[in-house]
Amino acid sequence: MSSSPAEKSELLQGTLDMLILKALQREPMHGFGLSARLRTMSLGVFQVEMGSIYPALCRLEARGWVKADWKTSENNRRARFHALTPAGRKQLIEEKSRWDVLSGTINLMLDHPA
Amino acid sequence: MRCLFGRSRREAALREEIDQHLGMMIEENEAAGLSRDDARGAAFREFGGVEQIKEAHRDEWTFAGWEQLRKDFQFALRSLRKNPGFTVATVLILSLGIGANITVFGWMRQLLFDPIPGASDVADLVAVENFADAGDAAGPPLTTSYLDFADYRDHLRMLDVAAMGQGAFAVGGAKDTGRVWCELVSGNFFTLLGVRPAAGRFFSPAEQTDAQNAHPVAVISQDYCRTHFPNAASALEATLWINHEPFSIIGIAPPEFNGTQTPMAFQVWLPLSMYGQVTHTGTWMLRDRGTRNFRLLARLKAGATIAQARSETLALGQFMARRNGEDRGVGATVVPLWQWAFGPSELLLKPMSILMAGCGVLLLIVGANVVNLQLVRALGRQREFGVRLALGSSRWRLARLVLVESLTLALTGSALGLLIAFWLRGALAWLLPAVAMPAMVPAPFSPAVLGFAVLLAVVVAIAAGLTPAWHATRSNLNRTLKHGGRSGGSGASQGMRSVMVMAEMALAVVALAGAGIFLESFRAARAMPTGFSPEGQVLAEFNLATAAYNREQAEAFCQRLAEALEKNPGVTSVSYADTLPLGFRNGNWEEIQIEGYQARPGENMKIFRNLVGPGYFATMRIPFVDGRDFDLKDDARSGAVMIVSQEFVRRFLSQGIALGRRVHGWGRWFTIVGVVGDIKIHRVTENPIPFFYIPIRQEYRPEYGLTFHVRAEAPVDNVIATVRREAAAIDPAIVMFDAQSMSEYIAGSLYGERIAATMLGVLGGVGLLLAAVGLYSVMAYSVAQRTAEIGLRSALGARPVDLLLLVLRQGMRLAGIGLIAGSLIAVGLARLIAGMTETAHPLDPIALLATALLAALLALAAILVPAWRAIRVSPIVALRSE
Repeated sequence: MSSSPAEKSELLQGTLDMLILKALQREPMHGFGLSARLRTMSLGVFQVEMGSIYPALCRLEARGWVKADWKTSENNRRARFHALTPAGRKQLIEEKSRWDVLSGTINLMLDHPA
Repeated sequence: MRCLFGRSRREAALREEIDQHLGMMIEENEAAGLSRDDARGAAFREFGGVEQIKEAHRDEWTFAGWEQLRKDFQFALRSLRKNPGFTVATVLILSLGIGANITVFGWMRQLLFDPIPGASDVADLVAVENFADAGDAAGPPLTTSYLDFADYRDHLRMLDVAAMGQGAFAVGGAKDTGRVWCELVSGNFFTLLGVRPAAGRFFSPAEQTDAQNAHPVAVISQDYCRTHFPNAASALEATLWINHEPFSIIGIAPPEFNGTQTPMAFQVWLPLSMYGQVTHTGTWMLRDRGTRNFRLLARLKAGATIAQARSETLALGQFMARRNGEDRGVGATVVPLWQWAFGPSELLLKPMSILMAGCGVLLLIVGANVVNLQLVRALGRQREFGVRLALGSSRWRLARLVLVESLTLALTGSALGLLIAFWLRGALAWLLPAVAMPAMVPAPFSPAVLGFAVLLAVVVAIAAGLTPAWHATRSNLNRTLKHGGRSGGSGASQGMRSVMVMAEMALAVVALAGAGIFLESFRAARAMPTGFSPEGQVLAEFNLATAAYNREQAEAFCQRLAEALEKNPGVTSVSYADTLPLGFRNGNWEEIQIEGYQARPGENMKIFRNLVGPGYFATMRIPFVDGRDFDLKDDARSGAVMIVSQEFVRRFLSQGIALGRRVHGWGRWFTIVGVVGDIKIHRVTENPIPFFYIPIRQEYRPEYGLTFHVRAEAPVDNVIATVRREAAAIDPAIVMFDAQSMSEYIAGSLYGERIAATMLGVLGGVGLLLAAVGLYSVMAYSVAQRTAEIGLRSALGARPVDLLLLVLRQGMRLAGIGLIAGSLIAVGLARLIAGMTETAHPLDPIALLATALLAALLALAAILVPAWRAIRVSPIVALRSE
């Protein structure tokens, strides 16, 4: 289904929201910046589809974790900047700790001597 | 709604955001050295499908229910369009039921909540009523005198009070004089009601004083203006002649305003202070506390409750009863408008309630019918449902689809029903007696009516959709697909449809039998002995005040007209009186004392009476029990005489003989010279009440009514023409108001029963027809389902008559059970109604039998069509169809 290059990888399902929250943790960002940042954060491994980012942003906005405002971008474009809300920060912490437990456990199991 | 707006706003924002994003990508690509076109192409490729993003976005944002519902409605519309026969039939049936209900609801709502269209803040309007205080219990309600009104108006702190009287006067210019119902109203009337003039003005402060006969001004109705003047401006310059007195037209009432006695539509409003002038009675009537001619309407002042106002009025009434001799034994109270004895509800509330109940039954039948149609349709769709389930549709979604379809149908039916109601709202006019001018034309699409229509639609949709929806969820995937959806019709669904048909049949019988009960009570009321013989009598009503007659002129006119009429061939006898029994009017009474009879404290001695001319009893055929008739010698100069009824004798003169005893009234003593049989005064259903007669020549006032009774063998129209001709020959200024046969007149007094009977008859008929349609649809479906079986039977040698019987037996069993159940309910209902009305008897078995027979015949006809189809099934075709 995917024709993306071999070195790129699909995101694990269900992690995009968490990663977006993480990407927005430092500063508010517009969609374009967000997609670039997600790419750099993953050192170019994860290819994030635009078709996923925007619905995800909407989802986060609808849940009150992210809110968006029209501002002027660094190169004088009108852009919609998405920022974490306090609830969003809390959510990030929660998801992070849940992920830590999950990934730690999975790693543990995978590293378990056969 | 907000949700939808929100959606489009959000979508616009998203579109812009995506555009900006694309712009940034293009810029970046250009910076990397691509040409503008390549930069664009790359950006779009990388970005992916914009529409998909929007779609996904929509799923995130929109309240899922709305979106789903919209889709469901679209789907319902599509699938209904595919099945036009079913859709049209269902919508028509629904619109019939809902339309009837909306119509009656509109009337009912107006009666209860908006009885005076055009008035503002109706919730604060109440009525002040006097009543004959019979000591422990409140007696019949009474109207009020002008002086009493002034006292209430000036002394009640909780209420603003207005007074109204009414009369049919000769109104017009020189030529087009006609009989017009006028309402005489106290100066504060329009202000109190909060009515605003459509043109001109209402009474000025100067015109609102109690000064009598000082302000000859008139307000006319929009309707009168339209029919008598080219435009409002010319009406406002015109002079209106009322009973030969000139009045300036100062204003035109708004079109919806008809005065305070719906369904009567008044055409002209005059200051009540002009009463004497317009009736040619001088000024005494408004200065006489005994002249109780007026109704009182009031508005609660800010902060006052009806209970407070009632206790204040009660206290003032008690004070007045102690202070004024004329008010002795008279109480006062405050009632809401719908309980007002002299208001609109009095006339119509009861027949309307009965109608509302009838409409409810009709709606039930309609509902059952729609359930049936939907069940049949659901059966035809079993395969479709099966496939949907197989493709992963949830059962809940299927049920929802059916419900939404049901709602779509009901809403469409409701919309059409509103149209029907729009046409029907004036229908009450056909049912009201000619005496009243129908004004019951409720506002067609008031918020309440619209709300009711939607509510009905939703209730019907849910009630009628629930069963089919439930059946849809129970579609058995395996079975329907295996059977190819052909021989569907699970036992449960079949049973449900049978129950629906039986219920419809039963309800139709109940509705028809109900109509029968009211028709019967109407007939019985008409057939009740009245104590006189209305047949062969023609009534011609005059009001001599319209010609500004004095008493001697009035007397001369009556005598001359009577003599002239008696000379006409075919006329057997002629007489005249001031009061008609069994009409709309309250009747006239006089407070009397009886020699040798000690009235109990608080006993109501206001006894109804009639002023009659010579030959009255012979013309009316009221039998004499004792004594003599009045004759021409009993006039103003001779001794005052009186004839009393048998009930009068029984109540007051049981000791000794009645003849020769004396009765005091009108400030003098009358001697009883005769005793006559009892007659019905107010209603044919009443028990005998004491009544007395005195010679019209001894106590007549021209402002009283005057009715000529002409007993003749000629056709009614000829007699009326004769009376009109003879009256005009004596004095062309005399206006003859109503003229009709007395039988017709009495029928008018029963119009409550008549409305109920007529309308219920119509509703019952429609209900029965719908039940037959339901039966037909079930039988037609059943025959279609059994085509193969029937074909097989006929291939194996069954004769057509066997097949006919097969189908008939099935259908008639359903109809029969429904008929029997309906008849049983009807009998129970009849008992209930018998307790409520005066004339209804428990159900007449013959009427019930006739109803059941009619229903059975219609059922038979509904079954015969499919049965006929069954026997014509060719075995080859039938077997191949499987």
